Amino acid sequence: MEFVQYLVNILSLGGIYALLALGLAIVFSIVGLINFAHGELMTIAGYLIVLSLSFGLPLPVVLLVACLGAALSAVLMDRIAFRPMRSASVTTLMITSFGVSTICKVLFQNGVSARGRAVALPEWMSGTLTFGGFQIGMVPLTSIVLTALALIGLDIFLRKTTLGVAMRAASEDFVMVSLLGLRANTVIATSFAISGLLAGIAAILWISQRGSVDPLMGFTPVLKAFIAAIIGGLGSLRGAVLGGFVLGALEVGSEPFLTIGTAPYRDAIVLLAVVLLLLVKPDGLLPAVRGVRS
Amino acid sequence: MVNSRIKAVTMDSLALAVILVAVGILAGVLFGANGTRIATSMSIVVTACVGLQVFSGNTGIVSFGPAAFMGVGAYTAGILTMSPVVQRTALPHLPAWMAGYGLSVWSSLVVAALAGLILAGVSGLVIRRLSGSAASIATLALQIIVYTVLVATKDITRGSQTFYGVPRNTTLVVALCVAALSIVVARTFRDTRTGRAVRATREDEVAAAAVGVDVRQARLKAWLLSGTILSIAGALLAQFLGAFGPKDFYFESCFLLISMLIVGGLGSVSGALVGVIVITAVTELLRALEGGGNFLGYSVPALYGLPLVGASLAMILVLFFRPTGLVGGRELELAKAWDPSKGRASKPVPGTQDVQAPKGAHALEANQLSRHFGGVRAVDGVSFKAEAGLITGLIGPNGAGKSTLINLLTGQLRPSAGHVALGSDLIENRQPHLIARAGLARTFQNLRVFADMTVRENVLVAAEACAADTALAVWRTNDALARFGLETLGDRLAGSLPYGQRRLVEIARALATGPRFLLLDEPAAGMNPAETKELMGRLAALRKDTGVGILVVEHDLHLIMSLSDTIVVIDRGQRIAVGTADAVRTDPAVISAYLGSKRMGEKKAQLAPGSVAQVIGASAS
Repeated sequence: MEFVQYLVNILSLGGIYALLALGLAIVFSIVGLINFAHGELMTIAGYLIVLSLSFGLPLPVVLLVACLGAALSAVLMDRIAFRPMRSASVTTLMITSFGVSTICKVLFQNGVSARGRAVALPEWMSGTLTFGGFQIGMVPLTSIVLTALALIGLDIFLRKTTLGVAMRAASEDFVMVSLLGLRANTVIATSFAISGLLAGIAAILWISQRGSVDPLMGFTPVLKAFIAAIIGGLGSLRGAVLGGFVLGALEVGSEPFLTIGTAPYRDAIVLLAVVLLLLVKPDGLLPAVRGVRS
Repeated sequence: MVNSRIKAVTMDSLALAVILVAVGILAGVLFGANGTRIATSMSIVVTACVGLQVFSGNTGIVSFGPAAFMGVGAYTAGILTMSPVVQRTALPHLPAWMAGYGLSVWSSLVVAALAGLILAGVSGLVIRRLSGSAASIATLALQIIVYTVLVATKDITRGSQTFYGVPRNTTLVVALCVAALSIVVARTFRDTRTGRAVRATREDEVAAAAVGVDVRQARLKAWLLSGTILSIAGALLAQFLGAFGPKDFYFESCFLLISMLIVGGLGSVSGALVGVIVITAVTELLRALEGGGNFLGYSVPALYGLPLVGASLAMILVLFFRPTGLVGGRELELAKAWDPSKGRASKPVPGTQDVQAPKGAHALEANQLSRHFGGVRAVDGVSFKAEAGLITGLIGPNGAGKSTLINLLTGQLRPSAGHVALGSDLIENRQPHLIARAGLARTFQNLRVFADMTVRENVLVAAEACAADTALAVWRTNDALARFGLETLGDRLAGSLPYGQRRLVEIARALATGPRFLLLDEPAAGMNPAETKELMGRLAALRKDTGVGILVVEHDLHLIMSLSDTIVVIDRGQRIAVGTADAVRTDPAVISAYLGSKRMGEKKAQLAPGSVAQVIGASAS
């Protein structure tokens, strides 16, 4: 009983981390960028939800606007900030994205508001469903369903479409893909669009649990997703998903063992476990496959 | 010679310190109290940035943890300097052993430094074992862990509430003194034995280990010094602000420090100083505009966070247009401008050859050496002995397993089975840097010079890693440079030399370890015929003078046939022939390996052995 509840919590929290980590991993595997500005894509999706709700649009349209808006912003971010530095090192790109993230945050604080905006959830979201004796809240249930749909959809895209297969190939050996005549910029733009789309979905789930949007809302979940991507193996897509659920399990699973005294240290304890894991497996649980040329 | 280098470094660090003090005093004089405040804050940031540079600049690993050390330093100093009366109201639950010290600013800095050293020591156990982005990520984890702990230990830090009541004892004089001292320490560290070793690990970890540098230890030392300086900066900041919270030591300040270092140039202490001064100027200017209002007739809207945007933009622009920073990879070397001994620095000391006798040569022996990658037997039971005082050639077609074999001999790979003996020592399970120190030095096929270090530093770092005695290290450096005709190029960056000379730098570097046996992986690759001939002469002379044994892997079969006393031939991971050049040249197994077994029958019937060798030479070179 209690176990089922924990499982639901792990899946709904881990799912958000998994979607975000997957977005980070797709971009990293193709352009070598660890995108710290990923959280700002979530924030953009959040503001789009607030904005389109205020126009009285129906919920499915609102969610679509949020996801597409985040995807478009990701592609724009690449065009403006990252494309000019395509050949730069991983560190340089990472620091650039740190700068982009900082600028975006300041713009949100000034352009929108430094304070949070409440998001009114539809009635049905606050209910619960009863399955043969135990209850599941609608919010975690939607989270799990949406996460599953997104992961399955992405899997089909990466396996069955030409562009998807090209992207998987690019994540292992980018130079080879361009030698085969595929357009490098199309592959890269698609990877950013997918990462933005995933950030948009994650934002919807995150907001449905928190009920508000603020300029810094993306920071914490993306930091966690970053850690999840590292647990799984930076640049490995399956690893990112696995890492997301592992981190969710660590956070939710550690709750029963924490006392009032130790609870505030949870993040520190979880991270310590991650660092120890890095010592044993520096490339993560499911290391990325890379084409290595001597 | 050594003294003149030390003198140059000292002069240079003093020059940097003087610049800082001049800027600080100027700001105070020109802008009054506000200028003094900015100059004080800038000096604290200089201390922090220099502390970050000690680790990130020298190791090349960007640390996301500088603010963590500053936070620990700040809270340590805050608790210790607070007057006992204030402490009872601000921190009622403070453990008794921490309470009631009321230390002065200087003694608080000492304790804060100690706290930083302890944190660096504990975290360093992990950091020293990681490299590249894994290490960066570990520093990020450290940052979050320290922040979480600062927020969670409410009794000591007041949690996320403001920590107040710290006496504001960081005056401009105190901050300037500490910053100037940090500059001198960091600038000097760069040119110490450890500093050079760390920079070699930044350039190429594998090559650094191969010339005897203990990569982990070098990295740990830089981390310890960096953490100590950063904690001191934090302690200064605490006593400058008087009140602060954990958020002051989180990502924002970490990011600001990194951006300053990048704007100035990660690779040098001068870069850290320039970066802080430039970014401080930019942010202070923008801070004036932040609130909006009228400037030069234009009305500017309020934009809070403008200084942060300015710092970010400055960093992105510098990364784009000048990735090595405003200063670039090298130190400014201001002192050189008025140093009369300029240009004389790299003259070798002649006539000291007999001061230090060579260590004595050893034979190198492989016994049933094997290495499997999955099902591939890259090296499969190879045995041979390369005698001291002789030149042994190792040849084989592409994919024969030559590179794997060499990596097994020098510890870059561990063998699946078999032994490697240097003299009477078994070395197959030792780490690469210990193998180098035991006397087996090597060069690499794909050129691994330390590109952003000078030629002299390249060679010196190897000599120092393998000789405890500084005089011996300097003698070996001069000797190695002279043997390969590099003595006049000592001050050039190794990466700026033409290809052939870079190869020579690598050989000289290997020689500077004082090897008992030398292993050269394709030393003539990419050299023109004249350079190759010169190299052959130098190698023959080296063998004659020192009696050191040399194993040469080469694709140029003409070179190897004329240079080698013995030749070992391997193919598909196995030794297929061994003997003199003439014996190997006519060996049917060798001919078959190079020309393919099907054609062998015809060729053998048609061609005399001598002309087959011609074909081998032509096809392989």
